[in-house]
Amino acid sequence: MADLTAITSWTLADAQHFARRAGFGLTPADAVALQAQAPGAAIDAWIDGTGAAYDPAAFTAALATADVVLEPLVSANTAVAGSVDVAAVAAPHPFLVQGGDTWRNSLNTAQALLAWRMQHNPHAFEERMALFWHNLFATGWHKVDNTALMLKQIQLFRGQGLAKFDDLLVIVSKDPAMAIWLDSVLNNAAGTNIPNENYAREVMELYSLGADNGYNQADITQLARALSGWSFTFAEADYSINPANPGQKFPADARFKVYDGTTLAPDTRVWWGGAATVSSNLHATGTISLFGQPLDVTTTASGWAKGENAVRSIISARGSNCAQFLAKRLLTHFVTTGYSAQDLTDVATLIQGAAFDLRVVLKTLLKSQFFFGAASRYALVEGPVSWLVRAARMLCPSLASGSGQTPKGYPAWRLVTNSATTFDQMGMKLLDPTGPNGWKEHTAWLNSNTMRYRAKAVAALTLNESRSYNGTTYPLFPTFVTTDWFPTAPTSAQAVYDRLAALLQPAPIPASVSAAWLAALWPTTFTWDSASQTKARELAFLILCSPSGQLY
Amino acid sequence: MTTRREFIQTLGATGALLAGLDACGGGGSSSSGGSGSTPTPTPTPTSPILVIVNIDGGYDWLNVTPPNAGTNLGVYQTKRAALGITNPALLTDLGSGMALNKDFTGMDTLHSLGHVAWIPGIGMPNPNLSHFTSIDLWGQGATVPAGNGWLGRFADTAFSPTGDVLRGLTVTPDLPVMLKGATRSFVSITSAGGYVFPAYLLSSTAVPDATTLETGWGTALSASSTDPGYLAAAQAGKLFFDAQNNPAFGTGGTLTARTTTVPYPGDATYPVLKLSGAALSTSLSAQLKLIAQMIAAGLPAQVYFSRLGGWDTHSNQAVDHPNLQRALGGSIKAFYDDLAAITTTAGIAQDRVLILAYSEFGRRVQENNGGTDHGTAGLAFCVGKSVKGGLYGGYPDLTSLDSNGNMKYTTDFRSLYATVLDHWLGQATSTTDTLLGSAYPRLGFL
Repeated sequence: MADLTAITSWTLADAQHFARRAGFGLTPADAVALQAQAPGAAIDAWIDGTGAAYDPAAFTAALATADVVLEPLVSANTAVAGSVDVAAVAAPHPFLVQGGDTWRNSLNTAQALLAWRMQHNPHAFEERMALFWHNLFATGWHKVDNTALMLKQIQLFRGQGLAKFDDLLVIVSKDPAMAIWLDSVLNNAAGTNIPNENYAREVMELYSLGADNGYNQADITQLARALSGWSFTFAEADYSINPANPGQKFPADARFKVYDGTTLAPDTRVWWGGAATVSSNLHATGTISLFGQPLDVTTTASGWAKGENAVRSIISARGSNCAQFLAKRLLTHFVTTGYSAQDLTDVATLIQGAAFDLRVVLKTLLKSQFFFGAASRYALVEGPVSWLVRAARMLCPSLASGSGQTPKGYPAWRLVTNSATTFDQMGMKLLDPTGPNGWKEHTAWLNSNTMRYRAKAVAALTLNESRSYNGTTYPLFPTFVTTDWFPTAPTSAQAVYDRLAALLQPAPIPASVSAAWLAALWPTTFTWDSASQTKARELAFLILCSPSGQLY
Repeated sequence: MTTRREFIQTLGATGALLAGLDACGGGGSSSSGGSGSTPTPTPTPTSPILVIVNIDGGYDWLNVTPPNAGTNLGVYQTKRAALGITNPALLTDLGSGMALNKDFTGMDTLHSLGHVAWIPGIGMPNPNLSHFTSIDLWGQGATVPAGNGWLGRFADTAFSPTGDVLRGLTVTPDLPVMLKGATRSFVSITSAGGYVFPAYLLSSTAVPDATTLETGWGTALSASSTDPGYLAAAQAGKLFFDAQNNPAFGTGGTLTARTTTVPYPGDATYPVLKLSGAALSTSLSAQLKLIAQMIAAGLPAQVYFSRLGGWDTHSNQAVDHPNLQRALGGSIKAFYDDLAAITTTAGIAQDRVLILAYSEFGRRVQENNGGTDHGTAGLAFCVGKSVKGGLYGGYPDLTSLDSNGNMKYTTDFRSLYATVLDHWLGQATSTTDTLLGSAYPRLGFL
């Protein structure tokens, strides 16, 4: 059985295990500071983001002005007849994918923004949960075709990722990116129209219950009727217009609406249909039968949208199935895939007992003896984005240091995501999963191609790769061996290894392997000179590329 | 409504389901649609190559090879009032009440050459209409989860435990369950160049101490462990490491450059475009070009895997589906033609290649508003000079749908696998039956 009682004390290794799984790792010094606190209070603060360590002021300030990407698309295309020239955006500038710049619609820039946030957000847990929900509610840019709406969905996960799951499921069901992704905006069941089943199927199969777990095809069709007409509106002010091509407009924002024939506000459009103030009816009327219960899909009782009662009934009518589904996903992401049927039942019971309050569930799970048990330690293959971000957190300067500020081009996540298509080839194309099932985790992250590109990505980080852009050469990930990696000069090859292992925290590496590395890198006497500092970079590369380096 | 258990019983009661699978096939004269004489198929080559094309998303094959006669046509006209393809000018008659959509570029030519085996109604018992369950089951070659795939089990059996690293390749960045064995998996290679470690690591600067890094990584990958996580990572890394060291990949780790001999979809000179006039997707053509390059370079691969996604046409089908068909059919036809120009020591590539295309399911007979939802039975097809062209299995009876309005399958998908394992991948009948867990009737197209 899964022992879900909370630990009452912890070691440094425990604190580091927690920080890897519930964030993107801590440097040895920061881990010591975390471990100095009682685990219960420390974990609460980590999850809630309360206390000085999680003060977002410096991060927020950097985010607002940082030129953290190289942006080759700052000048608009002027090839369109009658278009106007658009001045390049001078640095520093915020990321060029939101607000008025939505029309640029750059996936790579949006990926860079997310990666940069993961690297620097002091409240790492909100980024970790956003990544978890992005995989569970996997939505793809290639169909949504709008980075602003994609990022709006990710922000929703940051804000609501620890809400009650039924509330989260409703919010996701109303999210514009999701509504486009799974065709809610085209689901017309008014009158005798046949509804579009896409979202109704996946919301149960992929987002709340799991295949064949408590519903049948008739429930899918009925739920599709209940959710027909779920769309969104936007006003003229919500558009982001390409100044060089004014006909090219992207919604930068949108508001949920049941498209049921009610009058729209002046100058407001719905996504489907398009014309201002013209409204027809896509929403079904009457009563459906869902999970064997009649349900009026036109009621707005409790302040709910028409049909919302059907989404909520997934949890109210199939709570035990839903809890089991969530338990599986949480265990697989945060704890281990080697759980027993009883472990699964225990976590599902926790979820139901907490009435699907995710904050309570996550706090209990991440404080539990089960989470900290030996069987959970290094039991998971780390996903590639988390893996690369964690390495960057360990090896790159923090925002607090002078070199961690963001001069132009630093840290060039934009180039990493673009030129090398690294996230894609590593097997996790951030913001753009192939399908609504997201990415399979653990050993499914690894194959010959993803290992190839993991090595390439981490070579850029450890071996100090630089790229030339507009005549200037920029380091992709500026790293400083003598100051950040080794503030105290090592006196032996073993000391280099020990320090790098403490920073990078791989699973135990067989002694024969590390000994062979050190013998090859430092075959004779050890001197901490620039040649050795290059070898330290190579050793960091080997640690990160080794099989042990994929586990966390 | 009919439960799934009742559904199975119904299928059992209909009897002839598995019997007479190739009643319509074999020689193709019954289904060549007046396209002239059918050539004698080329004998199975000594070094056969299987190229899988995964039509990902559950394609609406009812609109690819729609019914054009009999009671099926009436049902189709009613349930596909908006999206149905019924105008004879848009169709090529294949005989047996089945037609071919002319948007399926190039396939009519391949059919008239007698090189296409069509298997409509292919499916499995108890379909649950889930992409992901169905993809897993098609991959596994089983109707209960088995953990590894039918081609992975083939690799376990046929590949050398310590060699044959390039014998099974996927040109997709992922490793589908179909290609995972218990002890062997396929290698994923997505580009023709830059495959030598560690030279590929850095784009603009030389890698320091390249030999040390290569040896060091090799040491780590070769370390044995009882830790399954460690092993999993090591095996994935080792496959790449061994592949890049394989001399078949050529010096410098870059495949010999090759210029295609015919235009592929998406190429500037390719004559067929999207409905909008824009170029077709290059997704599949790029993969098939890479496979052609690999075959020309003499890579010792026996099985290749490729994929074209985007077929989950819940909406906007009237636009998306013709474009997808043009890209799929056009890519297969271009690849087939291109193979004629490749000769290696193993022979002419066009004689050696069998293309097997499949999708995880077909779509609902009744359209929704602008699209089609998930269904059951699909259409698989095989292309090659050794294929006895024609129609295999039976076209589903659209007047006898299941309780959800979906087609009942007529051919078990494992019959296709059994046929290919026996007659193309050279497995003994008993080995094939072991790999698939049972003896499935063979289809007659090889």
